[in-house]
Amino acid sequence: MISFLILMSIVVCFSSVLALALNFQWGQGGMVNFGLSGFYTLGAYAAALLMLKAGANTFFAVVGAMLIVAAVCGLVALVTLRVIEEDYFAIVTLGVGEMLRLVSLNEDWLTKGALGLAGIPRPLGDSVPPEMYLYFLLGVSLLLLAGTYAVLTVIARSPFGRLVRAVREDDVVAATLGKNVLWARVRIFAIGGAFIGLAGSMHSFYYQYIDPTQFTNIVIAYAFMAVIAGGRGAHLGTIAGAAVVMVLLEGSRFLKDAIPSLNSDQLAAIRIIIIGAGLIALLVWRPQGFLKEYRLRTELE
Amino acid sequence: MYIVQTAFNGVITGVIMTLPALAVTLLFGVLKFPNFAVGAMMTVAAYMAFALNAQLGWPLLAAALTAALAMGVVCIALDQVTFKPLRERGGITLMVASLGLGFILENIARFAYGNSARSYVIELARPFRVADIRMNWEQMITLGVSTAAMLAMYVLLTKMPMGRAMRAVADNPALALVRGIESPRVIRWTWFIAGILLGGGGVLIGMDRALEPPMGSNYLISVFAAAILGGLGSPLGAFVGAIVIGVVSELSTLVLPPNYRIGIPLVAIALVLIFRPQGLFGQPYIRK
Amino acid sequence: MSTILSVQGLHAGYGAGDILKGIDAALAQGAIVTMIGPNGSGKSTFVKTVVGLLAARQGRIELEGACLNDLTPPKRVSAGLAYVPQEYNVFRNLTVLENLTIAREFMGVGRSGFGLDEELFPELGIHYRKPAGALSGGQRQMLAFACALTVRPKVLVLDEPSAGLSPLLMGTVFDKIKKVNSLGISVLMVEQNAIEALRISDTCIVLSGGRVRAVAPANQVLGMKDLNSLYLGEAVAEK
Repeated sequence: MISFLILMSIVVCFSSVLALALNFQWGQGGMVNFGLSGFYTLGAYAAALLMLKAGANTFFAVVGAMLIVAAVCGLVALVTLRVIEEDYFAIVTLGVGEMLRLVSLNEDWLTKGALGLAGIPRPLGDSVPPEMYLYFLLGVSLLLLAGTYAVLTVIARSPFGRLVRAVREDDVVAATLGKNVLWARVRIFAIGGAFIGLAGSMHSFYYQYIDPTQFTNIVIAYAFMAVIAGGRGAHLGTIAGAAVVMVLLEGSRFLKDAIPSLNSDQLAAIRIIIIGAGLIALLVWRPQGFLKEYRLRTELE
Repeated sequence: MYIVQTAFNGVITGVIMTLPALAVTLLFGVLKFPNFAVGAMMTVAAYMAFALNAQLGWPLLAAALTAALAMGVVCIALDQVTFKPLRERGGITLMVASLGLGFILENIARFAYGNSARSYVIELARPFRVADIRMNWEQMITLGVSTAAMLAMYVLLTKMPMGRAMRAVADNPALALVRGIESPRVIRWTWFIAGILLGGGGVLIGMDRALEPPMGSNYLISVFAAAILGGLGSPLGAFVGAIVIGVVSELSTLVLPPNYRIGIPLVAIALVLIFRPQGLFGQPYIRK
Repeated sequence: MSTILSVQGLHAGYGAGDILKGIDAALAQGAIVTMIGPNGSGKSTFVKTVVGLLAARQGRIELEGACLNDLTPPKRVSAGLAYVPQEYNVFRNLTVLENLTIAREFMGVGRSGFGLDEELFPELGIHYRKPAGALSGGQRQMLAFACALTVRPKVLVLDEPSAGLSPLLMGTVFDKIKKVNSLGISVLMVEQNAIEALRISDTCIVLSGGRVRAVAPANQVLGMKDLNSLYLGEAVAEK
């Protein structure tokens, strides 16, 4: 039981990092990233490949993955944000995410396609005694989660954070104040991308084996639900939301035992239906989420 | 000649996409947000027709018509439950809700029929050749149905009061209100018509490929590319855009690995948004 | 003279505070009433609330004694209220004829009475097939006006009808308003060009800071040398 709880907690950790990244891009920056699962895939594969093929150690693999995803996100933002409409940007991110997913599936020479990449080493896997390892991994995950939270909160409270929120509220006004709206948005998206990369790396370390099926659109739904449940823009709330969502959904795996008459396809379908319904219900009844957003008093005009 | 065959296949693919592209452009015009549930709506309608056709033994035509009409009604209901409570929120909230709705619908189909592919019960007509291009009767039906749908839409939007009302709401919702147009009524009709179009599209996809839960969502990006290329809000644009995307996508398989076919609609979206955001026939977006 | 449109204790706003802070106003049957006031006084907000595009937070709006508060804009239209917005007042992507047709179809379905648009705006005929967005500013204004009059409304509400028009066109617009009024339609308008509007009006309402500062016969206000003192609420006899 204990190890199950530890494993779940680790999963909550990197799901929270992912949700925090999405929250930064969307809740703070107003840019919805429907391609989340694709960028997450990119981060996971980047970290894995850097370790397996380029022989990098954990630290460089993680940093590399973060940089790669940040760069791709920044590029996407730069190229597509000429058209400022949120609606179109969302569609483009959906498409880019799909493309990334397809690359992971089809470019066998790089990613081994559907077979996936196995044997991803865990950080300091050799140095730490096996019976302690899970605790160690949990510790590392919590540390990374705390670090993500700290960095993003610092950014949110900085002048750049205020700029980000100003752009989100009304980019026309922000532009007339002389702020470079496009560049701010590129940076927002890239910073969020970096943490998507971090979450992806953590995913790779945890599962030690990755293949394209792990990164379906359900990942997006998880992250969105967490962000919405937590209240867009409120970092602490996002973590709370991620935890609640994860527990509910991973817990629903036990439905299988409760309702033996359904086959596994049907159970998978029900779980997704619950996710979709939960998403809509959250939007309708709890748009503010569970916690409020931090706002400097001076920002309220 | 292989190119011509491929181009023809592309035309058929494009023609299949006209119905959902029309639905997308209608919905965007009136409701003001891109609705990502349309793919799954096609799936559900296709399976409804399957239930009538393969399980109850109805001829496919009757099953398709009934499923399409039913889908129209279902869409009105879905809008009342899902989007109406969120009407006042921003586009993003509605998009996320539509994504969630898409998940639900697709998995209802999966729950009911599982993951394995199904097909409609229709007589397998032998393919025939015209000028060295291979065709079959299902494709001819597809061409006919899509053309009829296009013409019907044209008549609706230009000659009928409700069609004019839809265009008015798409143009200027506040003005429509003070010109006496009741917005809830227009929204219900828009969903009804979109539902019928999506129902028809779903059956055509089911005839062209097989029936499986992701069948509609697979077309989502291409359909949006078609609507955006043609210009969101323009029915003629949806038609032209769909054919172009279909043909170019098929032709691209001659040079690209087939799994990357989805790159074509994406590149199209990117190009359109960068160089001509209003698409071929759309109106430049005026910020109010 | 009886009152055809009245507003009592009206409060309305968009965000935290109220922009309209308790407005009382009345439009007599067959009269032309002009509301003037500085920018930001709430004139546009007033019009939008009367017409139904903004919900009243407090107060009553009555048309011929019937309460309009719970009616959506389309229902207020079929009750006899017609509105010409200041801008974005035509469907740009639809043709001139389609604009007029929509107005006829939806504004007065089931009501008798011939349309006034052809009679008052014959000049629009040649443009029927053009998209409304292709017309000049002045022509669009005329079209918007005509649409509001395709059925014979009881009250015509106009938001700054002369905004952005040349002096010549301005004169034409106010002539048409007078003509419309002579056919028995009561007119409520909100205007920046106070002088021109007041010349054809019966009564003037001065709005400032969301409140009515003064109500007086129009020619009396015209005679005043300094309109600013009006805005500040001095020295005009209450009606």
